[in-house]
Amino acid sequence: MMFGKKKNPNKIKQGSKAVDVIFYLLALSVCLITLYPFYYVIIMSISDPMEVAAMNVYWYPKGLYFGSYQLIMRDIKMWKSYLNTIIYVLSGTFLNCLTAVLGAYPLSVKNLYGRKWIVRFLIIPMYFGGGLIPSFLLMNKLGLYNTMWVIIIPGAVGIWNIIMVRTYFMGIPEALKESAFIDGANHLQLLFKIMIPISVPILAVIAIYTIVGIWNSWFSALVYLPNEKLHPLQMYLYRVVVQQSVDLKQLSFDDASKAVERMLSNIQLKYSIIVFTTLPIIFTYPFFQKYFIKGVMLGSLKE
Amino acid sequence: MLFYQKMQRGKRMKRKLAMAMSQSNVGLSQPKRRRIKENIELYLIMLPVLVHIFIFSYIPMYGIVIAFQDYYPGSPFLAFDGSTKWVGFKHFINFFSSPYFARLFKNTFVLSFYYFIFGFWIPILFALLINELKNGFFKKFVQTASYLPYFIANVVVAGMVLSFINVDGIFNIVLKFFGKTPMPLNTNPQYFPAIYTITSIWKSFGWNSILYLSSITSIDPSLYEAARMDGADRFKQMWHITLPSIQPTIFILLIFAIGGLLNANTEFILLVYNPAIYETADVIGTYVYREGLMAGNFSSGTAIGIFTSLINFGLLYIANTISRKVSDYALW
Repeated sequence: MMFGKKKNPNKIKQGSKAVDVIFYLLALSVCLITLYPFYYVIIMSISDPMEVAAMNVYWYPKGLYFGSYQLIMRDIKMWKSYLNTIIYVLSGTFLNCLTAVLGAYPLSVKNLYGRKWIVRFLIIPMYFGGGLIPSFLLMNKLGLYNTMWVIIIPGAVGIWNIIMVRTYFMGIPEALKESAFIDGANHLQLLFKIMIPISVPILAVIAIYTIVGIWNSWFSALVYLPNEKLHPLQMYLYRVVVQQSVDLKQLSFDDASKAVERMLSNIQLKYSIIVFTTLPIIFTYPFFQKYFIKGVMLGSLKE
Repeated sequence: MLFYQKMQRGKRMKRKLAMAMSQSNVGLSQPKRRRIKENIELYLIMLPVLVHIFIFSYIPMYGIVIAFQDYYPGSPFLAFDGSTKWVGFKHFINFFSSPYFARLFKNTFVLSFYYFIFGFWIPILFALLINELKNGFFKKFVQTASYLPYFIANVVVAGMVLSFINVDGIFNIVLKFFGKTPMPLNTNPQYFPAIYTITSIWKSFGWNSILYLSSITSIDPSLYEAARMDGADRFKQMWHITLPSIQPTIFILLIFAIGGLLNANTEFILLVYNPAIYETADVIGTYVYREGLMAGNFSSGTAIGIFTSLINFGLLYIANTISRKVSDYALW
């Protein structure tokens, strides 16, 4: 949208150097506040276990040591939950994009009977919901409880996504749709051959929001998915770093374990697993950032 | 009988004829017929989505009837054979008269109020600060850094916070450095509001500044030029041009922040709290999860849920009405 690459014409060009310096220092300290916790976790995870145990690491890693990562690589449960998360992310993203398009297209057609009522049908659940317990009982009744489907199916439709795509579809020139009808296309063909290819920008926004949302989500697994084998990554992380019901140190007590590994503190292992599971988000985030901002701008538009 | 059949056949013939006529572009009914066919097609396209929304959004809404029953697991939400035990407002009254009610309500309100009071103006100041930076690369870097915490999972943030405030965590080491005695912050209820507020602001301030930044970008540059001609320095420009120009945005976001005054972040609290600090950390959402879902008190849990939703919606409704009156912007 209008945000993004366009240069801000309102940059203030005058003023004393001293004030500038103060502003830059302020901005730097904001950066420090936001980034230092991550930096701290990273340097703790790669420092020498002795130094970590003595809590001597603040500004730079002391004595590089990657043993904690080697140890985590051996954690089969983590890999299993990583795989589960990938399944949830891929299926969820595909389904969210598909349902957004299927739900949005008919609502963008002007002569649909009862369009107003269907839009209301969509809007109401955005403000009212049954809450935690009726949903929990419903999942039980549908037989979804404690299966992978309980993560995939209820999250397959995003009402807000539908509304965003609909707004986008309505902005597509009528002439384009009419020319397709003259060529003998029906609605389904028009949707898949013309509308979807030109909606890639909005679908990218939806896909990226969904990916990050599912990657970070843990609560529905906590409520609906007691089976640890089906847990997503964040739920495994929850058991390790919050609930502390998984002891990573057990991993080191096999024959191959060296003396240094025994020195590894719990905190270093926890930080390593935090880094390892968050890296995909941190690395891809700068590339995705513009889509996120686009999403905010779209969300703020009056529907 | 035979006559009737003949008549029917005749009718069918007539209809066929009419159809043939309309297809050879005579009758008026052709566009209408096409429209019906079109509509059926369109409804079929969105049917899966509508069914999904009906099942996963509307059935739970209907499920709130169990708040007025003594529901036991396994029975239907509403049975018509008389097995449903209706109890009226019993669960609501029990909750209002329970010793926990005041504490839960207070904690929920206090935590969201702190976040509102301290968290609302920081994104505005941050947007103003960003706007004063001249170096494009540095500016971009600061923005990117400030949005980052928003994308980090709650579980990760909670894990980090818990380890930082531990007795042997970095926070206590800093305290020791300044000559104070280390203390376990996660077992003392008096620190939880601060921990919650600081973490929530840290996670969201950069992200919340995006809308302000974008409305700053759309200010007419000639306004600044005119101000400079009149001899305004950068603070005067900030005060007399930037702030008034983003005032509508500030106002709208203020109203909706007020609308969210009973929305403590249940998910995050659930991750960082523990029984030792329930006194300040237990909010309505966590109570419903613990006492309603985990302990199996489905009916009373649902009743508490309804109570909160009603208050939340009431606040949002008031906020929306005010917003529509004064700024033309409304959710509905």
